[in-house]
Parts: sequence; C-alpha cells; structure tokens
Amino acid sequence: MASNISPAAFDKEQIFGMAEKEMEYRVELFNKMTQTCFKKCVDNRYKESELNMGENSCIDRCVSKYWHVTNLVGQLLGSGRSPM
Amino acid sequence: MDKSMLADLDSLPEADKQRMTVMIDQLQIRDSLRMYNSLVERCFSDCVDTFKHKSLQKQEETCVRRCAEKFLKHSMRVGMRFAELNQGAATQD
Repeated sequence: MASNISPAAFDKEQIFGMAEKEMEYRVELFNKMTQTCFKKCVDNRYKESELNMGENSCIDRCVSKYWHVTNLVGQLLGSGRSPM
Repeated sequence: MDKSMLADLDSLPEADKQRMTVMIDQLQIRDSLRMYNSLVERCFSDCVDTFKHKSLQKQEETCVRRCAEKFLKHSMRVGMRFAELNQGAATQD
C-alpha cells in the first residue's frame, strides 16, 4: 500500500490523520468537561429549567479548573515522570 | 465545533477542503448522537425512579424537560468559557 503513494501524498495523509485526531481530541475534551461540570454544578432536582446564579458561577470556575488540570496532567505526563 | 476550524479551510485546495468538510461533518454527527444518548441517560436516571406505570408521569416529564433544557444552557455556557480559554483570555477567580 505504501509503495503506491508518493512521498507528498503520504505527508498529506499524515497531516489529515493528525488533523482528524486533533479534532476528535478537542471534541472529547469538551464533552468530558461538559459532563463533569454538569454533574458537579447543577442541582439534579431540576426545580426550574434556568441555570441559577450559583450554578452559573460554579460552571465558570469548574471549566477553568478542569482546563488547568488538563494542562497540569499533560505537563506531568509529557515530562516523562511516571503516574506513580 | 468552533468556527475557527471552518475558517482555516479557505486556504486549502478544493479537494482537500471538501475532504476536511466531510471529516468535520461526520465528527459533528457523531458528537450530536453521543450527546443525545448521554443526555437521555442522565435525565432518565435523575428523573425516573418508580415503575408503577409504563408511561411517563406528569412529574417525570416535567423533570426531564427541565433537565434537558438546563443541560443545553449549561453546554452553551461551557462552550463560551472553553472558547475563551482556547484564546488565552485571562479569567478572574
């Protein structure tokens, strides 16, 4: 299969593959963040359909902290330090 | 999906642009279906506890509607904050 592809085409395939993985990662990150913050911040008795002030504040802070945790864990993994 | 991904497509040759668009469309469809499934699971588990009847009771239906509406509003808000973080905007504690 590889022998049928020119070097330029191969590079393009790699670039497309990486672009797709990057997009999938970002979508997955957003989904995990959304679900995690919903679980942590929203009262599950659903007394009304609007987000209240406390929930809104919590959501904003939750997103920020989740983002920082993502970066921090990424740094720790990237530094070659083992998870232990 | 944020619009900035789509904006970058303009600089690509036509065939590549088309391929990228298909990729994004498929990702979007998959993402929507996944969100639908997880929302059903979440609202069902939060709102339905008794099984004396096989049809949804009024209280259960109200709860599910509120749950779904709240989640959609939540998701929009998270999306706005996520976009800000991606742009490196400073946020207050």
